[in-house]
Amino acid sequence: MTLSGSVIDGQPPNQTTPTGPVPGPRRGRRRKWTLDRISFFIVFLGLPLALFLIFVINPFIQAGYYSLTNWSGFSPEQEFVGLQNFIDLAQDPRFTNAVGNSVVLGLVVPFVTLTIALIFAILITIGGAGRGQIRGVKGAGFYRVVSLFPYVIPGIAIGLIWRLILDPSSGLVNGVLTGLGLDQFESFAWLGNVTTAMPASIFVIVWGFVGFYMLLFIAAIKGIPAEIYEAARLDGAGRARMSWSITLPLIRDNVQTAYIYIGIMALDAYVYMQALNPQGGPDSSTLVMSQQLFRTAFAESKFGYASAMGVVIALVTLVFAALVFTVNRLAGGKDEGGAS
Amino acid sequence: MNAKLTTTPDRRTVLRGGIITAASLPLGVTLASCATGGGGEEETTDGGGEEPGGETSADNPFGMAENTTVDAVIFDGGYGVDYVEFAADILAETHEGSSVEVSPSTQIATELQPRFVGGNPPDLVDNSGAGSIGFNAILDQLEDLNDVIDAPNLEGTTIRDTLYDGVLAPSTYEDKLAAINYVLTVYGVWYSSSLFEENGWTPPTTWDEALELGAAAKEQDLYLFGWGTEAATYYQTLAIESAIKEGGDEVRLALENLEADCWSQDAIQGVFSAMKEAVDAGYFKPGGSGTQFTAAQAQWSNTQEFLLYPSGSWIENEMRDQTTEGFEMKGISSMSLTSSPALGADALHSTAGEPFIVPSDGNTAAGKELLRIMLSKEAAENFAATKLAPTIVRDTVPADGFGSTALVSQTDLLSAAGESIFTFNFVNTYGMNSEQLPIWNSFLDGSKSVADLTSELQAITDRIREDDTIDKVEVS
Repeated sequence: MTLSGSVIDGQPPNQTTPTGPVPGPRRGRRRKWTLDRISFFIVFLGLPLALFLIFVINPFIQAGYYSLTNWSGFSPEQEFVGLQNFIDLAQDPRFTNAVGNSVVLGLVVPFVTLTIALIFAILITIGGAGRGQIRGVKGAGFYRVVSLFPYVIPGIAIGLIWRLILDPSSGLVNGVLTGLGLDQFESFAWLGNVTTAMPASIFVIVWGFVGFYMLLFIAAIKGIPAEIYEAARLDGAGRARMSWSITLPLIRDNVQTAYIYIGIMALDAYVYMQALNPQGGPDSSTLVMSQQLFRTAFAESKFGYASAMGVVIALVTLVFAALVFTVNRLAGGKDEGGAS
Repeated sequence: MNAKLTTTPDRRTVLRGGIITAASLPLGVTLASCATGGGGEEETTDGGGEEPGGETSADNPFGMAENTTVDAVIFDGGYGVDYVEFAADILAETHEGSSVEVSPSTQIATELQPRFVGGNPPDLVDNSGAGSIGFNAILDQLEDLNDVIDAPNLEGTTIRDTLYDGVLAPSTYEDKLAAINYVLTVYGVWYSSSLFEENGWTPPTTWDEALELGAAAKEQDLYLFGWGTEAATYYQTLAIESAIKEGGDEVRLALENLEADCWSQDAIQGVFSAMKEAVDAGYFKPGGSGTQFTAAQAQWSNTQEFLLYPSGSWIENEMRDQTTEGFEMKGISSMSLTSSPALGADALHSTAGEPFIVPSDGNTAAGKELLRIMLSKEAAENFAATKLAPTIVRDTVPADGFGSTALVSQTDLLSAAGESIFTFNFVNTYGMNSEQLPIWNSFLDGSKSVADLTSELQAITDRIREDDTIDKVEVS
């Protein structure tokens, strides 16, 4: 009897908790459905659940169903074609190319962005003077504010601004480079060459996101007690050693979350790619899955096929998340039962 | 170190990660899911299908009911929407109590897709622009507009008798006139006549002359051509025009009917080689594949860094605010390959654009009535005067072209061409443009050879020909 209710939360069964069962009328299994309880359930359980079912799960199911049809998207008629759309997708060079480009983004963008963000965050929090209080470099507060600026600009505006900056004839980048005497950049099309289009696009996305993730990491690092750093310093650890052996292990959960979050964004990346290279870039080298999906649905009027692409995008994203979790655990992340 | 820190992931943790992601995933499939939001499949009600009966009369040939609000969704592109509002005002005058609600849109397909599925489309749509709906997707949901053409206009003349020849053919599908293309477009190569006069240049009639002009321009540090990344296929249009002029209908039909090796025809290869020569000689302004297309066009119309620009006649209106003072824009028919092309040196690529459609599930009488008013003399003249482009209605442009040299040269080109007017639709019919763009960008910036260009364009044609799920349109 006394054990009931205490097995939750992975606590050892024989441990008595202060919130254990109390004798008295409240022990009865049935409780009265008072107005208070009913309204509580409706507001805090029913409403969110209904919203979730209607606006999240229902569209998922619909898209899943349409992916098995040849629906054109503009008439109510459709035929069930089974998995034909998926078979076609696997053999569609345009889509496999787009998947490849998205995967490149999904691998490179999170790694580069988070590496830079982490370095900046460390500089701003613990990179300062080697004696006295643990603090960041001089002017840390200023850098912290400035580096968030790009994140305040909407993605589409970032794309359009950078498109102008990278303009071959009148852009800032080529203006500066030719001004420095590098004449080979006269009219150089950063977004128009196969070798530079993708790196330039990645650069723009990274530029837009570094500030935000830096702030996220700063908040996490601030949560680490200063005593740990002070103790490490007394033991003779330098800044690099402290970053690698103390900061990183203690904020790895934040890094993992950030990795998944930005990874999902990078696998979509529609806004940035559409603003920078609406036609998919030279030799379709920057065409991503979501762009190909949009094109298939609205330009080619194949909504069934496009829905199948949507399903594949969802699967790719799930695989990505699973990979991040796996890598984190293999690399020594916390396990399920550990305190978190 | 806690030993537990090194445990491997198990099924549960990986799955949990997946589920967390799934919950935060909506973005990934938003596109797919919002597209399907519209109406359910069971929804077969006819929306505005059952027309509230109105009397048919000479003033009201389609029997539009009294006190109707006409719902018109108009592509808000180079021509804006005010020309439809002009016709709407006339409708409000001639049909007391009725009015028109003109809704501008730049994304016709995305905006109207749910309404088509839900059975409540607008009464009149200008299905134009990059985001337009593919015709093969909605063909059987559209009204046959032959009765609009056979109706009298506001002046009492049958509309069919007031139109340019052949303007209805491209939108006729097996006797069904699915759309009326309102604006007449002349394709050609455009230039600044004042700049040419200043330098004593004459506009080229053949590709050889064009290359000579390129050399002359280079001496003055000017380029012959330039392009923008979204508009690289304007040069494909130019190449096809030159090739059709050179080789005649045979060339056109091979392309239109997606024949094997159609891009390898002699006439097309000849034009490609001439273009490649211009690319290799540095006659194209470099950097086009990274330049936004209106920025590139301004390098021609405003800063005059290059001389010739192949385009449709919308170019004057499109660049109106970015054309330098005294530019005096004029057009020529696309350069021929030799001095004696099969269709004659004056043959011209011209067709009508801005396809207006009347969906069957809307209030068709209202849609047709508004269209009838637009095709009447008053509205057509207003369009020509304000947009500096002719509609498919004849004789709406005065000899001075409202002071526009480009408009005058369009009329001149049309009358010089006489009956040798041609057009081709395969790029739009099969939605090839987005795939062809990157290929042309690479060709124009010099990184592709003529052989690469040919084989990659042929690959697109072949893929579509072999894809049985795509309906083919037989052209003759």
